[in-house]
Amino acid sequence: MLTWQNPALLFALALVAAPILIHILVQRRAEPLPFPTLRFLQPTRLASIRRHLIDDGALLAVRAAILAAAVAAFAGPLVITPARRQAWDRRLVRASVIDASSSDAARAALAATPPAFLSREFTASSLPDGMRRAAAWLESSPPARRELIVASPFPIGSITTADVAAIPRAIGVRFARAGALPPVRTIDAGPVLAIDGLVAREATLDGPRTVVRETPIAGGAALPIEIVNSRDARPAVDAAVAAVLSQRVQAPGAGHRARVVIVDPARNVETTTSQVLTPWIADAIARVMRDPDLQTAARRVAAGFDGPRLPLPWLPIAAAADGRPLAAAAEDGERLIVASAAPPADLFTPVLLRAIANSLGVLPDLTRAEVVPIPDPWLREHERAPSPPAPPTGDALRNDDHDNDRRGFWLAALALLAIEGWMRRSRQRAAEAREEASRVA
Amino acid sequence: MTSTCPPDVLADISDLELVARIVVDGLVSGLHRSPFHGYSAEFSQYRHYQQGDDLKHVDWKLVARTDRVYTKQFRETTNMAAMLVVDTSASMDFYGAGRSIEGRAPGAAPSKFRYAVIASAALAHLIAGQGDAVGLQAGGRFLAPRAGRQHLRAVLTALASLEARDTWQGADAIRGAAERLKRRGLLLVLSDFYDDEERTLSELRRAHRIGHEVVLFQILTRDEIELPYRRGVELTDLETGRRLAIDAGLARRGYTDAVAAFLERWRRRAAAEGFQYSLVVTDVPPQRALRNVLLARVHA
Repeated sequence: MLTWQNPALLFALALVAAPILIHILVQRRAEPLPFPTLRFLQPTRLASIRRHLIDDGALLAVRAAILAAAVAAFAGPLVITPARRQAWDRRLVRASVIDASSSDAARAALAATPPAFLSREFTASSLPDGMRRAAAWLESSPPARRELIVASPFPIGSITTADVAAIPRAIGVRFARAGALPPVRTIDAGPVLAIDGLVAREATLDGPRTVVRETPIAGGAALPIEIVNSRDARPAVDAAVAAVLSQRVQAPGAGHRARVVIVDPARNVETTTSQVLTPWIADAIARVMRDPDLQTAARRVAAGFDGPRLPLPWLPIAAAADGRPLAAAAEDGERLIVASAAPPADLFTPVLLRAIANSLGVLPDLTRAEVVPIPDPWLREHERAPSPPAPPTGDALRNDDHDNDRRGFWLAALALLAIEGWMRRSRQRAAEAREEASRVA
Repeated sequence: MTSTCPPDVLADISDLELVARIVVDGLVSGLHRSPFHGYSAEFSQYRHYQQGDDLKHVDWKLVARTDRVYTKQFRETTNMAAMLVVDTSASMDFYGAGRSIEGRAPGAAPSKFRYAVIASAALAHLIAGQGDAVGLQAGGRFLAPRAGRQHLRAVLTALASLEARDTWQGADAIRGAAERLKRRGLLLVLSDFYDDEERTLSELRRAHRIGHEVVLFQILTRDEIELPYRRGVELTDLETGRRLAIDAGLARRGYTDAVAAFLERWRRRAAAEGFQYSLVVTDVPPQRALRNVLLARVHA
């Protein structure tokens, strides 16, 4: 099997066609001309001209072959033989991912690993990122068995099944636990909306103690909720908004907005709605419905909407004491819309606004806050041995400049050069001899 | 100073009589003696002078010796008879580099054939103009030599109707012309002499032996002598149609050497046989080419 280190260079073979095309075009361009007699174009001379053309053709072929051999040599030919495959199978290329939080311990843990044909170390504060870089380097490394070793204390959440699955199957994976888990961990607890404005929160876990540090980001924040109500209900609604902000709610995600319409239960809801198709709106509706305080407050309200007045696409999210829907949700042009039949001054209104505001926020991944290691069985389960090397591809071939068959093609080019020189000289000698014979005649 | 009309201008004039006149007008100035010598009279006998005889025919030396007055009598009075032999082979239909697919390009020299026709017409005009007889042997046509304007017109008309095509049996044409000249005459042959060299020369030699004076005009283009083309050309033989692609640059040296040898051979053989030979290249005005030939005859 023949493969190439730089197959793109083979396009340069088109250059070989250039002199041939020029030759053909020149031949075709011979201008037709009537002439009185051909008798003075001596037969010997004519023959020499024809021979010259034939010689040109042979010379052209040799020169084209020189070009082709040189281009092939530059392209890095590689003949994959069983012996070569065995040699590749015997060698190992290793990428080591070192956890930056415990790099000394990790290096010490890897010191005992047997030497590899080629190895490289990747220090990373994020293990998935380090694993991706290491896998990319292994993919482009010369043909060999490939192994990726990750050395870390492996706190929970530092790598996932998806991170391991992202590594190509042919690459072996090994985990080496090294170092201790950090005694203190600080995580981003997500921003919240308060009465004073937007506040960033950072939680530090230090043994049994947890410290949350708050930093004001911007003042004068408002709920990302547009509230539509009657003039009479305004004081009650303003009081409900102030109550929600005093309790703090999750800051909304980018582009997450809502509209709440507080209506008279005896009237129809007059607004433009559509079926829920936007994922975050569907997620928000589900989160609102799961709010236990909201469901409790709803059951304290005596009556809800009249059933037939809430047709689809409205989705009931809370039911009143009489079992009829008290609040319903839908989508209104990439905005969550909620209709409430509860009296504005009822407790249900601030509870609904809080539930909606929290549903618009992005919850932090608190699982990463746990200061516990990934269990050993999980690590062993995701380890695997390197596979025998597959036939190498572009980058892997290009990065192995010593293991190729360029030499043979260069030798062929040199031999052809010698032949070309010999042909040129012999033709020149023949031409001189013919000239001499012509002069003597 | 003689003004000469360029060959390309002459080639564009279709009236052959006018062309001949232009050429001859530019030709005769400076030729104080006729270039063609006729056989005007041959002495026959003496007789006693009779009253009324022209005194210019009295042989005064004889009067001094014998004290009697005799008058010279001449057997006959004749003019010179000339035959024009024109090569009408396809090889004469060559223009050189001025040739285009449609024919002669504007401003280019005339074809060898047209040049030969113009030169023949001028010679016929010149010969007839001095009262001598002129005939034509060309392209299967034969006009016996005669004097006079009417006959000159017939010769010019015949020349104008000629076409260069196929091959030309030069030896047969020369033999026919020589045999049809009743008395010693002048044989003017205009050709590129590419045809059977030996037979042609043999017939010329024969014509010369029977008393005719032979004048050869070897008409060629500059391209035929120098092969000035660059790189590849595909040459088509005008007579055989054979085609040959050559690299002109490579073939030039051998070609020009062969042509030079061919021309030198004709020049040498003509001189050896006593023919008057002239190489005429079509880019030289016909007046100048003919004038050189005629001057050589005058001074001979």
